[in-house]
Amino acid sequence: MVSTSAEAVYGLFNLFLTLGTLVGVVVGSYMIYNLLRYRAREDKPAEGEVSLGELPPRQGFPIKLLLSLVLSSAIVISLIVGTFSTLEYLESPPRDSFEIRVTAFQWGWEFTYPNGVVVLGEGRIPANRPVKFIVTSRDVFHKFGVLELGIGIDAIPGKINSYWTQVRVPGTYEIRCFELCGTGHGVMIGKLVVMEPSEFERWYQSQGGVSK
Amino acid sequence: MTHNPLPPASSIKRWLMTTNHKDVGILYLVTSIYFLIIGGVLALLFRFQLTDPSLNFLNAQKFNQAVTMHGLVMILFVISPLGFAFANYVVPLQIGARDLAFPRLNALSYWLYLFGGILTIISFFQDSAIDAGWTMYAPLTTNQFSPYVGVNTGGLGLALLVASVTASTFNFVVTIFRSRAQGLTINKLPMFTFSILLTVLMMLYAFPSLLAGLVILASDRLLGTVYFTSPEGGALLWDHIFWFFGHPEVYIVLFPGLGAMAEVIQASTRKHLFGRTAVMVAMVIVAVLSFLVWGHHMFNTGISQDVRRVFTITTIAISIPFDAIILSYIYSLVKANIRINTPFLFVLGSIGVFIIGGITGVFLGSNVLDYILRGTYFVVAHFHYTMVGGGLLGLLAAIYYWYPKMTGRMFDEKLGRIHFVTSMIGYNLLYFPLFIAWETPRRVPIYQPDLLFWHQLATIGGLIFGLSFLIMFWNLLWSLRNGPPAGNNPWGAFTLEWATESPPPPHNFHGIPTFSSGKLEFISTNGAVHHHHETHLSPYPFGVSLGSFLTLAGLTVHSLMLPVGLLVLAISIVGWGREKFVAFEDPIGERWPFDGVDRVKLGWWTFIASEIALFGILISAYIYVRGASGSWPAPGTMLDVWHGAVNTFVLLTSSLTVVLALASAKAGRKGLTTAFLGSTIGLGLLFLFNKYNEWSELIHHGVTFGSSLPASTFFLTTGVHGAHVTAGLLALAYLVSRSIKGAYGKDNWESIEYFGYYWHFVDIVWVFLFPLFYLI
Repeated sequence: MVSTSAEAVYGLFNLFLTLGTLVGVVVGSYMIYNLLRYRAREDKPAEGEVSLGELPPRQGFPIKLLLSLVLSSAIVISLIVGTFSTLEYLESPPRDSFEIRVTAFQWGWEFTYPNGVVVLGEGRIPANRPVKFIVTSRDVFHKFGVLELGIGIDAIPGKINSYWTQVRVPGTYEIRCFELCGTGHGVMIGKLVVMEPSEFERWYQSQGGVSK
Repeated sequence: MTHNPLPPASSIKRWLMTTNHKDVGILYLVTSIYFLIIGGVLALLFRFQLTDPSLNFLNAQKFNQAVTMHGLVMILFVISPLGFAFANYVVPLQIGARDLAFPRLNALSYWLYLFGGILTIISFFQDSAIDAGWTMYAPLTTNQFSPYVGVNTGGLGLALLVASVTASTFNFVVTIFRSRAQGLTINKLPMFTFSILLTVLMMLYAFPSLLAGLVILASDRLLGTVYFTSPEGGALLWDHIFWFFGHPEVYIVLFPGLGAMAEVIQASTRKHLFGRTAVMVAMVIVAVLSFLVWGHHMFNTGISQDVRRVFTITTIAISIPFDAIILSYIYSLVKANIRINTPFLFVLGSIGVFIIGGITGVFLGSNVLDYILRGTYFVVAHFHYTMVGGGLLGLLAAIYYWYPKMTGRMFDEKLGRIHFVTSMIGYNLLYFPLFIAWETPRRVPIYQPDLLFWHQLATIGGLIFGLSFLIMFWNLLWSLRNGPPAGNNPWGAFTLEWATESPPPPHNFHGIPTFSSGKLEFISTNGAVHHHHETHLSPYPFGVSLGSFLTLAGLTVHSLMLPVGLLVLAISIVGWGREKFVAFEDPIGERWPFDGVDRVKLGWWTFIASEIALFGILISAYIYVRGASGSWPAPGTMLDVWHGAVNTFVLLTSSLTVVLALASAKAGRKGLTTAFLGSTIGLGLLFLFNKYNEWSELIHHGVTFGSSLPASTFFLTTGVHGAHVTAGLLALAYLVSRSIKGAYGKDNWESIEYFGYYWHFVDIVWVFLFPLFYLI
C-alpha cells in the first residue's frame, strides 16, 4: 500500500466488505430460496391461515431469531474491535513526525511549514517519514481528503484537528474537499507532492528550512 | 344507509374544507407525489450535468442549489409525508376509530405542510436559493457566507413544516392512545399503526431540535446574534443540533415504510408476522437508540476519541435490532403460502436493496472508515439504498396495497409488475454504480475522468427509474374508472381496515368495532344518529395556513403579502375559536395507560413534551457554547441579578393566581375567577415590562444581540421564553373575555386547567433560566 494510513483504513474496509458481502449474499439467497419454495401455486386458502379481525396471539422470542442475532452480534463485535484497534494506531502519530499546517479556505489549501514558509495549493512532504497534518479552516467547514493515501479529516474554523501518515511511494496525489463549502467546492482541488526524502530536503532548504 | 355529511368528491369546497382523515390522507398522497415529481426533476437535472463534467448545463451554484433543494424536498416533503398519507388514511381504520382525535388540527397539519413546501420551493426561484446542502451547515449558512434572501425564505418554509409536524405528532399520539377499539392493546396494535406510533414519538423529540437550530440560525441571520459565527463557541454547535434531529429523521422517514411492508407480508402470507413481539421490541430499541447515534455524522470533526468510540458502538449496534426486523420479515415467508402480487413484489425489492443499504450503513458507523468515506458517493449510495430503498419502495408497496381500499377499485396487476421490474432495473442502475464510483466527492459537478462511465450509467438508471413512475401514475389513474371493483378485502388481509367497505363510509364503520371477546365484533349503535352531528368541514385550517404562509412570505418575498396574511390569519384564528366543531370520541375503547386522561389533556401534555424538548435544546446550546468558550462574565457583571430575581418572584406568583382562578371556577365563583385571571395578566405584563427595562439598560450599555456570545445566548434564550409568555398572555386575554361573560364555572373549567399546564410550564422554564443565566 502507498501509505501507512491507506494500509490501515483500506485493510479495515476490506474486512467490512468481506463480512458484509458474505452476510448480504447469505441473507439475500435465503430470502429468494424461501420465496421460490413457498410461492403459492394457486390462491386457495390454506390451513392455519389467519382470518379477518383475528388478533395476534401471545408470542415469545423465537429461538431461530435469537440464534441469528447471536451470529450477527458476533460479526458486529468483531467489526467494532477491528475499528478500535485501527483507530488507536491511526491516532497515535510518532513523536518525530514532520508537522505541516494545512489551512483550508474558500476555495483552496494553504500549507505552512515549521519554518514559517507558506505554500499555496501544492503541498510537499517527504516520503518514508511520518508526517502529521495539523488541519484547520479560515472560514467555513471543509474536509481535507487524499483518498489514495487514506487521509481524511475535517477542517473547521476555530478548531484544530490532526491526522498522520507515512507515504511509501513518492508521487503526486490529489487533495479534494469533501465537505460542501460553497460555490467553489467542486474545484477546491490541491496537490500533495510526496518527494524522495533527499529531494524534499533540498527543496525545503531552498525554502530556508531544515526539516530535522 | 347513513347520510353522507361531505360534499361530493368533485367539489372544490370538499377538498379545501375537509377535516375527514381519509380525505386528508388523499391530500397528503397527492401532494407528496407532486413534490416527488419536483424532487425527481431536480435530481434528473443534476444527474444530466454529471454525465459529463465538462458540460456547463448547470453552473456550480445552480448545481449546489439543485442538490440542496432535492435533498430538502425528498426527505422532508416527499417520503415522510407519503408515509403520513397512509398514517392519516389507515391508522384510524386499523384501530377502529372514526377519525383522528383532533380533525381540524389534522387538516391544519396538511395545509401547513403544503404551504411550507410551496414557500421552500419559492426560495429556489428567488435571487439566490439556499445552496448549502440539506444539512445546512453553519457557518456556511450564516449571513457572511450566504447573504441570500433565499435562505431566509427556505428557513421559513421549513418552520411551517415543523409546525405541521408538531401538530401531527400530538394528534397521532392522542389518537393511537385514546381511540383504539376495545381489546386492541398496545402489544396487539397492527404493525403499521405501531410503526406510526414510534414514528410520531421520534418526531416529538427530533423536530424541536430542528426548530431550535432554525431559530438560532434565523436569529444569527436576522438579529445578529453570534452563535455560529463565534469559532470559540459555535464551531460544532450546528452539527450537534442538526444531527440530533437528522439521524432520528432517517428512521422517521423509514419507519412508515417498514410498517407498511409488515402489513403486506402478513396479507400475502395470511399469517401473523414471524417474531412479531420481537420485531416490536426491536423497533422500540431503534427508536430509542436513534437519539444516541448522531455523533457518527461528526467522526471527522475532532470530537474526543472516547466519545467517538461510544458512537461507533451505538451506531454499529443499531444494526442488530434492524437485523431482527428484516430477518423476521424473511422468516415470515418460511412455510407460508405466499401470494405474489405487486405490493408484495415491491416489499421484496425493498428488503433486497435495504439489505445493501443496511450493511453499507455499518461501514459508516466505523470511525476509521469514515475518515475516507465521509463526504463521498459511498454515503450518497448508502443513504439512497436505505431511504429510497427501505423508505420509498416500501411506501410504493403501500400505495398498491391500500389503493383498492382508498378507491374501491383494483389496479392493473400486469402494469404493476411491469412497474416493479422497470423501477428495480432503474433503481439499481442508478444507485449501484455510485458505490463503484464512491471516490467522487459529494455535491460536486466535477469528478475524476476514470469514473465517467459509472456516472453515465447512473444517469441512465435515473432516467429509467424516473420514467417507471409514469407507469404507476397511468395505472392508478386509469384504474380509478376502469379497474374491477375491489370488494372489502381483496388481499385476504386480517387487519381492521379490511372489515369495512372500499372506500369506507365517512364514519368508517357501521357500529363500533370491538375485540373485547377476543375476536372482531361490531356493537350496533342501533341507528343512533350521533354520526350526523359530527362535523367534517371547516374553512379555518386552510385559512390559518394560508394566513401564516402569506405572513411569512411577506417577510421575504413581497411585503404586500404581509398585511393580507396577518388579516387572513387573524380572521381564521377567531373563526376557529368561535366555530362549533363537533368531534366525538367513541364512549368505549382501549386507552391504557391514559384511561383517566381525556383527549384534550393528553394533547396538551404531548404538546408540552415537545416544548420541553425545544427549551432543552436551547438550554443545551447555551451550556455547550459556554463550555466551549474560554471565558464567560462572572455572575452579576453583565446581568443585574435583581432583574432576574424580581421576575422570578413575579412569574411564580402568576402561577399561583392561575391555580386560584381554577379553584374559583371549580367553586363556581365566577367574579373571583375573572379577578384571578386578570391578575395573572397583570403579573405577566409586569414580567414583560421588567424585562423590557432590563433589555434597554443592557443595550444602552452596549450589551446587544451581537456583542458577544454571553449576550447572544442570554437575549435569544430569554427572548424565546418571553415570546412564550406573550403567547400565554394572548391566550389569557381570550380567557378573560370569556370569563367576563361568565363562561367558566362548576361545569366548565377545563380551559383554565389546560391553560394552567402551559403557564406553569413557562414558569418552570424560567426557574431553570434564572440560575443558569444570572447566578452561575
